[in-house]
Amino acid sequence: MRHARLLPLVAALLPAAALAQDSNDPTGGTAQGDIAVTIYNNGQSLVQDDRSLSLSAGRNRIEFPDVSARIRPETVNLSGPGLSIVEQNFDYDLLSPDKLMDKAVGQELTLVRTNPATGAETRERAKVLAANGGIVLQIGSRIEVLRDDGLPVRVVFDRVPPNLRARPTLSVTVEAARGGTVPARLSYLTPNLGWTADYVALFDAATGAMDMQGWVTLTNNTGTSFTNAKTLLVAGDPANGEGRRNWWSASSGAIDSAGTESSGRERLGDYYLYPLPQRTTIANAQQKQVSFLDVKGAAARSTYEYVNGWLGSSTEPMSASSVLKFSTSKQGGLGDQLPAGTIRVYMRDARGDPQFVGENRIDHTPLGSSMALRTGEAFDVKVRTTIDQRWETRMRYTISNARAEAVTVDLAQQGLWGDTRVPAQSLEGRRVSADRMEWSVPVPANGSVDLTVTFDSRY
Amino acid sequence: MARLLLLLTLLLIAAGIAEAGTVVSNRADRVSVTVYRQPGRVKGAMDRLWPGGYALITETRTVDLPAGESTLRFEGVAEGLMPETAALSGMPRGVREKNRDARLLSPAGLVDVYLKRRVTLQRTNRKTGKVSREDAIISAGPAGGVIVQTQAGYEALGCSGLPERMLFPAVPAGLSARPTLSVIASADRPTRATLQLTYLAEGFDWSADYVADMQADGKTLDLMAWLTVANGGVTAFPDARLSVIAGQPGKLAKAPQPRPGGGALRLSCWPLDITSTHPGWALFPMQTRRRAMEEMDGLQEVVVTAHRRSAPMLMAAAPPPPPPPPPSPPPEDVGDLKLYRAPVAVDISANGQKQVVLLRQPAAAVERLYVGRVEDGDGSSRPMTLRLRLQNSKSDGLGLPLPSGKVAVFEQVNGGRMLTGEAEVADKAEGERVDYDIAQSADVRLTTRVSSGDRNTRRWSLGVSNARPFDVVAEVTIAQDIQPRPPALERRGDSWIWRVTIPANDSRTLDYMERLPR
Repeated sequence: MRHARLLPLVAALLPAAALAQDSNDPTGGTAQGDIAVTIYNNGQSLVQDDRSLSLSAGRNRIEFPDVSARIRPETVNLSGPGLSIVEQNFDYDLLSPDKLMDKAVGQELTLVRTNPATGAETRERAKVLAANGGIVLQIGSRIEVLRDDGLPVRVVFDRVPPNLRARPTLSVTVEAARGGTVPARLSYLTPNLGWTADYVALFDAATGAMDMQGWVTLTNNTGTSFTNAKTLLVAGDPANGEGRRNWWSASSGAIDSAGTESSGRERLGDYYLYPLPQRTTIANAQQKQVSFLDVKGAAARSTYEYVNGWLGSSTEPMSASSVLKFSTSKQGGLGDQLPAGTIRVYMRDARGDPQFVGENRIDHTPLGSSMALRTGEAFDVKVRTTIDQRWETRMRYTISNARAEAVTVDLAQQGLWGDTRVPAQSLEGRRVSADRMEWSVPVPANGSVDLTVTFDSRY
Repeated sequence: MARLLLLLTLLLIAAGIAEAGTVVSNRADRVSVTVYRQPGRVKGAMDRLWPGGYALITETRTVDLPAGESTLRFEGVAEGLMPETAALSGMPRGVREKNRDARLLSPAGLVDVYLKRRVTLQRTNRKTGKVSREDAIISAGPAGGVIVQTQAGYEALGCSGLPERMLFPAVPAGLSARPTLSVIASADRPTRATLQLTYLAEGFDWSADYVADMQADGKTLDLMAWLTVANGGVTAFPDARLSVIAGQPGKLAKAPQPRPGGGALRLSCWPLDITSTHPGWALFPMQTRRRAMEEMDGLQEVVVTAHRRSAPMLMAAAPPPPPPPPPSPPPEDVGDLKLYRAPVAVDISANGQKQVVLLRQPAAAVERLYVGRVEDGDGSSRPMTLRLRLQNSKSDGLGLPLPSGKVAVFEQVNGGRMLTGEAEVADKAEGERVDYDIAQSADVRLTTRVSSGDRNTRRWSLGVSNARPFDVVAEVTIAQDIQPRPPALERRGDSWIWRVTIPANDSRTLDYMERLPR
């Protein structure tokens, strides 16, 4: 029991030990306490900063240095035993030489003049009368302009105006029930700290297998480093007051059929949570990657796809898309849900070196989905579309294959609307929707195949 | 309690080991570079001054890892590195995290880190040379000027007219000379590890530059292609294994990367007008030619290290060019892309362009035809375009993948080599038709006229005239609905193709009825 109570003490000592390591670095310290960061996909983060405040009983004004420079002050919440907040200020009027001089109008300051012949210094007091274009000073009974003769003059101000800050600063006035050291938790939202997933897929066409590694890519543009932070990633885009997402918000189209499986991963509402196993320092202007997925030998295969718009045709052959098909299922797939990100696909060349063969984006993908990732345009597999006849439209799709093996091309014709009938086709196709029809066309090695289809659009 | 203290001590030691230090890897033992073209450029040559493609770079590096956890910094990587693509293999116990830090060591970066901290302010007396130093604390900066606090009070740096500077006690640990990639890795015992670092980097491009010489018979081309690779970065890759990828792999726009904050440090002061200066707002700023000068400088910085391509002009009686070196081996398939290897290790220099021979086909059969399109029916005659057509098949002297790029066609005229024209070509697989549109012909012309028409139909009359002293073949594209269906015309895309041979100094006509869309 006693040990259990002492353990937090040990935990508290550890960061202190880490700090002691670089005590010879004058820039090493930070005013942050025990930091926990929850990072959402849409570049928004929740920071919880546990600090010890030394307070006196009654009203206290506390400044919080080393909070995010992009803090959203309206989301700040300070809580601690016996603390009640009187008011909270976020000051972003920045201290600079011209503001300093502007606020010194009507006040006295010290001038230090250096004699250019002897180097001797003389001091005198002066009063600033105006700071419009140039500085007008009153020294005793005479009026002069600062550095009107071009000689060096140091201007020494007695004080800095209290509301000018070097950095945007959060200050909170609290009413403390009693004095002493009080543990308090400061929590706020900050933009400019977000994450995406990046996947590296090494695809082997001969064995039909794929190795996939997933990396979380954290990007910190807040202007502040978060030292030794407990980090939790949330896969999901919380609404930010813009209402429901619309149907035209772009989808990557990589999910063929959405999965229905669940995994044991921790959830928050409808979002999945990815806690980082160790505390980490998220430095300012840093892009950090942490591994979260490593799967070997998942089944995958490559196919081709060509989508033709209504009355689309070309005199030159157009490349079919290369498509990588795989599953995120626990049976024979990756066995994990995939947070939105970019999948980069590599294949080995004849010497066994991996070469990059294309990338594409995926959306948040549930477990058990079947995926079709378009990785690029094929060099050797092309489709030339000819409109043989208008009115009752007869289309001819010439699919050519310059590869040394037979391939199957999934050809789709869109724009059929609801009432277009197909009276004749040289290969049986599937009407996947009122608007779209698909054919799986086998093409022999180093050969070409013609698919002819007649559409009756009834007008 | 004693046990607990022991545990505490152990934990502290462990914490000490966790900070085992930084290992710097400053050079690669072996490098291979695979260059990809600019995404979205289907045909045509690259822009050497602004390479828009990217490269996959694989570096083999040897590092000595201490026991425990250490930070491994990679120096000398390409500066266009996309950190989200970096992959590392060969670490004995894997990699915990990868970082790219963009906090840079710069005047503004130093002020930013030392804000509210102690520095030394040094002033030199211009007359006596006497140096005086005092402690100061930076109260504000770097945006909008620097204010320091000394014993005397607050002063703005660089506003007094005296020589003064700040002295910093040490370089802060978090600042680096350029954006750096580092990883946190651990090892059980001191290890010498051979690592493979793979990443994509921007600032590279390549294209194929074809040189086609029309043979004396007028029916075959001597087709040669250079593989032209450009590196627009400042990092050179000596003795690299170079290969290029033809085809169009999918590539998304790059995600935004963290930017180093601050920028340049500007010591701005309060307004410094005096009674003898004009007020600044009464004068317009002087127009300078600085921008143009900068552009000129930019041009001068680029070093072209490769063979200069023939300028598009008449090269009278040039000596026959030396036989080019043997071309690269035929391409291999990587997925649906084509990989070409340079046969020997090459130096890829910074801001340079390099050319190696890609292919050589001495006898490619070529067909010469004139092409035109039916557009308006006002009866005016327009010149037709001279098109060289090759069939990419073995029987026609080709039959190999032809990557996209630009072609320059030359002909021998009276013993001199003359440029006939240049054309852009897209990727062409084996078995495809390859067209070079190289010139307009004033002698072969197309006349299109609407002779009559009503609400539903128009009657067209086309004429092709040939003023050349030999037969020519013409192809006219008619993107119209012809009624009745013409049996003799070929259908291509949504158009009819009228192909006709016109005898020397003669003309041919075609009349047809167009059905207008309702």
